[in-house]
Amino acid sequence: MPQKQIYARPALCTGCRICANACSVYHHGVANPRLGAINIRQNLFERYEFQELCRHCENPPCVNACMVGCITKDDKTGLVLHDRKRCVGCWMCVMACPYGAVKRDVLNKVAIKCDQCRDRDRPVCVEVCPTGALVLDLREDVPQEPFFTEPTIAD
Amino acid sequence: MSDNDLARPMALNAIVNLTDETVEYLATPTEVLKKFIGGRGLNMYYLYKYLKPHADPLSPDNVLIIGTGLLTGTPAPNSGRHSVTCISPESGIIGDANIGGFFGPEMRFAGIDRLIILGRAARPVYLYLTEGRVEIRDASAYWGLTCNRTQQQLKYDLGTDVEIECIGPAGENMVRYAAVMSGVKNAAGRCGTGAVMGSKNLKALVARGTYGLPIADPRGLLDKYIELKNYMQKSKVTQILGRVGTPLLYDVSNYLGAIRTHNSQQTVFFDTLNAEEVHKYVDKMLSCYGCVIHCRHRNKLGGEGPEYTTEVMLGANIGIADTYQMIALNNLVNDLGLDVSSTGTYLGWAIELFEKGYLTEDAVGYALQFGDYEMMRRLIEDIAHRKGFGNILAEGSQLVNQYGPQTADFLIAVKGLPQSDPHDVRYIKAFALGIATSSRGADHLRSRPTLEILDLPPAVTEKIYGAPVDPNPMSYTSKGRVVYFSDNIYAVVDCMGICKFACHGFNSPRNLDYDHFSALTKLATGLEFSKPDLEQVGCRVVDLERLINYRVKGIDRKDDTLPARYFDEPMPSARAKGSFIDRRGFDQMLDDYYLLRGWDHDGRLTPARVQELENLTTL
Repeated sequence: MPQKQIYARPALCTGCRICANACSVYHHGVANPRLGAINIRQNLFERYEFQELCRHCENPPCVNACMVGCITKDDKTGLVLHDRKRCVGCWMCVMACPYGAVKRDVLNKVAIKCDQCRDRDRPVCVEVCPTGALVLDLREDVPQEPFFTEPTIAD
Repeated sequence: MSDNDLARPMALNAIVNLTDETVEYLATPTEVLKKFIGGRGLNMYYLYKYLKPHADPLSPDNVLIIGTGLLTGTPAPNSGRHSVTCISPESGIIGDANIGGFFGPEMRFAGIDRLIILGRAARPVYLYLTEGRVEIRDASAYWGLTCNRTQQQLKYDLGTDVEIECIGPAGENMVRYAAVMSGVKNAAGRCGTGAVMGSKNLKALVARGTYGLPIADPRGLLDKYIELKNYMQKSKVTQILGRVGTPLLYDVSNYLGAIRTHNSQQTVFFDTLNAEEVHKYVDKMLSCYGCVIHCRHRNKLGGEGPEYTTEVMLGANIGIADTYQMIALNNLVNDLGLDVSSTGTYLGWAIELFEKGYLTEDAVGYALQFGDYEMMRRLIEDIAHRKGFGNILAEGSQLVNQYGPQTADFLIAVKGLPQSDPHDVRYIKAFALGIATSSRGADHLRSRPTLEILDLPPAVTEKIYGAPVDPNPMSYTSKGRVVYFSDNIYAVVDCMGICKFACHGFNSPRNLDYDHFSALTKLATGLEFSKPDLEQVGCRVVDLERLINYRVKGIDRKDDTLPARYFDEPMPSARAKGSFIDRRGFDQMLDDYYLLRGWDHDGRLTPARVQELENLTTL
């Protein structure tokens, strides 16, 4: 089954945090971008917006790191899913994720993790984004560009 | 999400007494919430409660209120705003400024909906808000830093995930038009709220919000948000605002011949400040919390902005035609924490006084002339640090008492507050009535009635305003109704914590109307407000502000006026050439407006209405 993934187009992101807030409202019924699974890391003084979102990796470091086994990779859909009820809040997944895509709910001591809104056609973050900075696309359709490139060294 | 979130009251106030270093917590009763909603409305309610009418605004007796709107922080579109309210040290009447950015929502996530700050701290302090508590902390390490440095240092010390609102050197030195700043450019700019914060030795407010804000109908609200986002983004003005921001208005006003130039002695200026020229200096457009419009520029000179207001107040009005220089001044003023509108107006005014001989080179120390960039930079720095002539100009409109009443004729201000909007209002009469009657002084964000220049069909305007209005912007008839309508809905949008750019009637008829607010408040909070309820709230807030202004400074008809230049000197150029405000026509507009408001001929509230408001404020 072809797998879809949420991609960010950073140049279009204006830093409004509606995606993260909508994620929180949709999943938890309360508003606070901090409780959303997507995070817009913005620094107005350093002048950047960086979209931290789950890639649902082929070989997910969070699954390997989880001590209680509450994060699993669903073989059928390819989604990496997190069971809140069994989570003990050890934050190993938070540390292991290379993309900063697992967040902490410090009040309830559980991890916050993207489930790509399984019960919806399109994830809520993609749907609410006012600028189209978030897109849901087939992995196969995305050109295979390396995510990190070597720094250019002047001669 | 967690049980304790749902138990929180809908509006929790923290009453911080800086003199005694105590904090009390008090929920706003629901019946008061129904009458004043939140934001500006509830701020006015508490301002009235804590008001000491004849106290010096810069004394510990003044109260500083930072209040979020009812929808601030929810997924309602453009719900990132809150209001900062006090008695203004600049005008002596209501000081109220609305600010975007991220601090307001963060404050609500930290469990505090409103801060009521009393007294004066013995040493520099900042307030730290988290998990429903307010801590008073030492800020001596941050005193003296500019707005950007203060916030960067606080984020370095406390972690990058906090949101901050602070004052810069201008606020610390109690410049009478200092702003409260958040982020690089967001400002509660008007009325010298920053000076009041400085007078309390309060350097900053810091919030870290870990609580979730309960939403009555989460999925319903998200669906509503998506519907409204699609609706608003179809508006042409919204689309252009998102592309180039407010500078889009510069062209239009300049073509009309209504750009305040050289302290309103002229009305057209160079097209080097057109939107496309400004946009060469823009890296990216940004937005405040929850915004679907994104009108804020990240400029290439290290700051954010400029807005249309800055372009003119720190451009045309002081004779700066170079785009780079204007943006550099914009960044400087924001970093120092000064109000752009007031700063630009006073600079233009001082230069004209210098030209006319009221100010001499001996008194100033150097020559003041339009277009002198180096002089402007120096003077702006001096104002913020209260050095030399800057120390004098930092007194703002209070200088009229010193320089003589004839100098007031050249000051583009009403009720002691300089005009914010760069638009010369001699052409659009409703606009003139709006700035004359605005509760905080010459300000366009109280009513800005400019829909009529969009050439909308009469049926559409009648539907908007509830009665037929004259489509000719030059006529004096039916303008009272236009201002009355705008006043009311803008008061409501300020109570909600939503941006005016998303508000019906501000610059597009395709925006959030009363019905949308009813639906949003129902879905977000469960509270029901009908359209007439909301209109009543608008009237109530405007009336309460009028009452406060009357109590503190006897504001009535004599104060609802315009700068002398608008009455006496016809506009000199372009399409608007020859326009001026006819005193009889103006009086007729005032009569119309007072009649709709139910005020008497002198612009005062009826005794019955005063009694009604007083009964409400004892709730």
